[in-house]
Amino acid sequence: MTRYFYDKRVREIFWQVALLAGLAVTIVLVVRNASQNMVNAGMASGFDFLWRTSGIDVPFVLTSYTPESNILALLWVGVANTLVITFVAAIAATLLGFVIGVARLSPNKLLSGLAGAYIEFVRNIPLLFFVLFWYFGVIAALPGPRQSIGLFAVAFLNNRGLTIPIPTDGTAFRIAAVVVLAGFLAQAAIAVWAKRRRDATGAIFPVWATGLALFLGVPAVAFGVAAVVSAWDVPALRGFNFRGGFVLVPEFVALFAALATYTAGFIAEIVRGGIQSVVKGQWEAAYALGLRPNRALNLVVIPQAMRVMIPPLTSQYLNVLKNSSFGAAIAFPELVSVFVGSALTNTGQAIEIIAITLAIYLALGLAVSAFMNWYNARTRLVTR
Amino acid sequence: MTLLARGVFGAALLALGAGAASAQQLAPSPTLDAIRARGHLECGVHLGLPGFSFANDKGEWTGLDVDFCRAVAAAVLGDANKVRYTPTSVQQRWPVLQSGQVDLLSRNTTITYSRNATLGVNFQGINFYEGQTFIVRTASGAKKPTDLENASICVAAGSTEERTAADYFRERNIKVSIINFQKNDDAIAAYDAGRCDSYTAGVGALAGQRIKLKTPGEHTIMTELISNDPQGPVTRWGDERWQAVVRWVLNGMIAAEQLGVTSKNVEDMRANSKNAEIRRLLGADGNFGAMLGLPNEWMFNAIKQVGNYSESYERTVGKGSPLGLERGSNQLWTRGGLLFTPPFQ
Repeated sequence: MTRYFYDKRVREIFWQVALLAGLAVTIVLVVRNASQNMVNAGMASGFDFLWRTSGIDVPFVLTSYTPESNILALLWVGVANTLVITFVAAIAATLLGFVIGVARLSPNKLLSGLAGAYIEFVRNIPLLFFVLFWYFGVIAALPGPRQSIGLFAVAFLNNRGLTIPIPTDGTAFRIAAVVVLAGFLAQAAIAVWAKRRRDATGAIFPVWATGLALFLGVPAVAFGVAAVVSAWDVPALRGFNFRGGFVLVPEFVALFAALATYTAGFIAEIVRGGIQSVVKGQWEAAYALGLRPNRALNLVVIPQAMRVMIPPLTSQYLNVLKNSSFGAAIAFPELVSVFVGSALTNTGQAIEIIAITLAIYLALGLAVSAFMNWYNARTRLVTR
Repeated sequence: MTLLARGVFGAALLALGAGAASAQQLAPSPTLDAIRARGHLECGVHLGLPGFSFANDKGEWTGLDVDFCRAVAAAVLGDANKVRYTPTSVQQRWPVLQSGQVDLLSRNTTITYSRNATLGVNFQGINFYEGQTFIVRTASGAKKPTDLENASICVAAGSTEERTAADYFRERNIKVSIINFQKNDDAIAAYDAGRCDSYTAGVGALAGQRIKLKTPGEHTIMTELISNDPQGPVTRWGDERWQAVVRWVLNGMIAAEQLGVTSKNVEDMRANSKNAEIRRLLGADGNFGAMLGLPNEWMFNAIKQVGNYSESYERTVGKGSPLGLERGSNQLWTRGGLLFTPPFQ
């Protein structure tokens, strides 16, 4: 008996099990207590409300949701909008952050000074200020619908958003998307083949040239053909505003711009730190091997800098995901806005809705982390 | 048995006896007891809606809904100033009431079936008959709600207006874009900034919000209503005696107008009126206050310090206020309105 008592592994397992049991008991007690209190207070509980008709009109919908749909569909609208804004804002923030981070290291004093000023400015101002600044800045700067800025008489920019034509039937575009995807896959195959050939023979294949063709040429041709063969729903002024087409609402633009410019400040610092972490000797060694500067950067410095940058980048992407909830402040219909805002007050199911929202953010956050960890593992230093 | 022990025993017996005696008369009211113990009423109000609940530059709350909080405080504690206000947004109002943070919600909130049925709240009468409509820029030329084809409409998310407007336009096959903001103030600010062609709320709320616009004169409130939105004080489920207190303070203010009792003549009325109902209302006859566990001069205090319904209405949203609303439906039934109160018998 005492043998087990003093066994480190047995004790560790015992405490793990005890902790897990304690957690389970706590959760059961909290749930039972809350539901009993709600019954006593005359409040409805349960998840049946998810199948109730929502009746809420949402101005920016990427799914097939209409106000006749149920609240579950409304939840999905919020999740989809959250994912879209997070994805595009994270990509834009990364690109902008790389540019500013590299500029910060530029020998040009003016350039690095500007980049430094931008970083300090962004990092010391609350995000809400950015969101409101972009939102009211964007709206105030744009004309009303009747004085819209027309782009080739098919797209219109005004304080209700950017209205662009959409095809009435998306089939041609779906085919084009498949063609483009096939082009991307072909490029990946070429890259693998070129790397193998280089490793075997030392001959360098111009991967970038085929990449340029496959990344720009194929999509241009495919979407061009699709655009010609499709019928278009062109926006036209009717009543108060444009009718038809797809509207990119100013709430989207403002939230996107705020998240991208804000997060870029933090990413720039990560990029600077990553590049500075690669010791100067690595550059010198690369040049000594006869590599040109751009190949030295791509093949020697960036891969080493990435190893330092990926973990902090992961937390920045998680921040973008969480900060997308600032859309609630400016009526962008993301998860918090439509679900915790509209659905909660319409149904009053506070505990259930908050629990669902937390679970979704947790799941999305863990998914982002898992992806970034996978990528991190792939690019880690391989030691032999 | 020592003297001390006997004293404690005797006190305990007395307390038990007193407790039993009062339990026979009145059901316990935890809310009333809590208000008396802390010495003030906790009242949930609107974040800031001129005419209904609005903090002036000295931080004093005024408005029709605030007046009701004051009347309840006067009836329960004898002092209309013993109120602490909790400003609540559209989203906050229910949790604040459900969790017991406020005793009472007096906050421009529409009475609806599903709120009553699922939120654990009760509505204690109507202090404002409201109907939803739209405010537009006069220059837009829109006269009635059906003119709003393709308009962007700002609204507070989670309000009844959000769904009523969506239903209204969907039924008529009119396409509009409804932009849901978390707070009324954010919605009206976006409307003012040009994001929306219209902002929708109740007539009273629109009249109050219009004052906040940059150029109030360039905006029109439509006269056609798309809904009935009766509004009134809200309490939690349970504690029926407290609910009765809230309900009857509201009835008392309306009854006072009906009986011609005002803050000016209330003392004279209590001393000299021959009308039996006035005498019962003001505590000159009978023990009407004590029946609910209140001081007998409960309504006397409320009317003396806050006024009857008409005085409160005219001062806050009516002709004596910047809102300048007609009495309309909020007139006594004897004068063509909807206000009616059960008798004080």
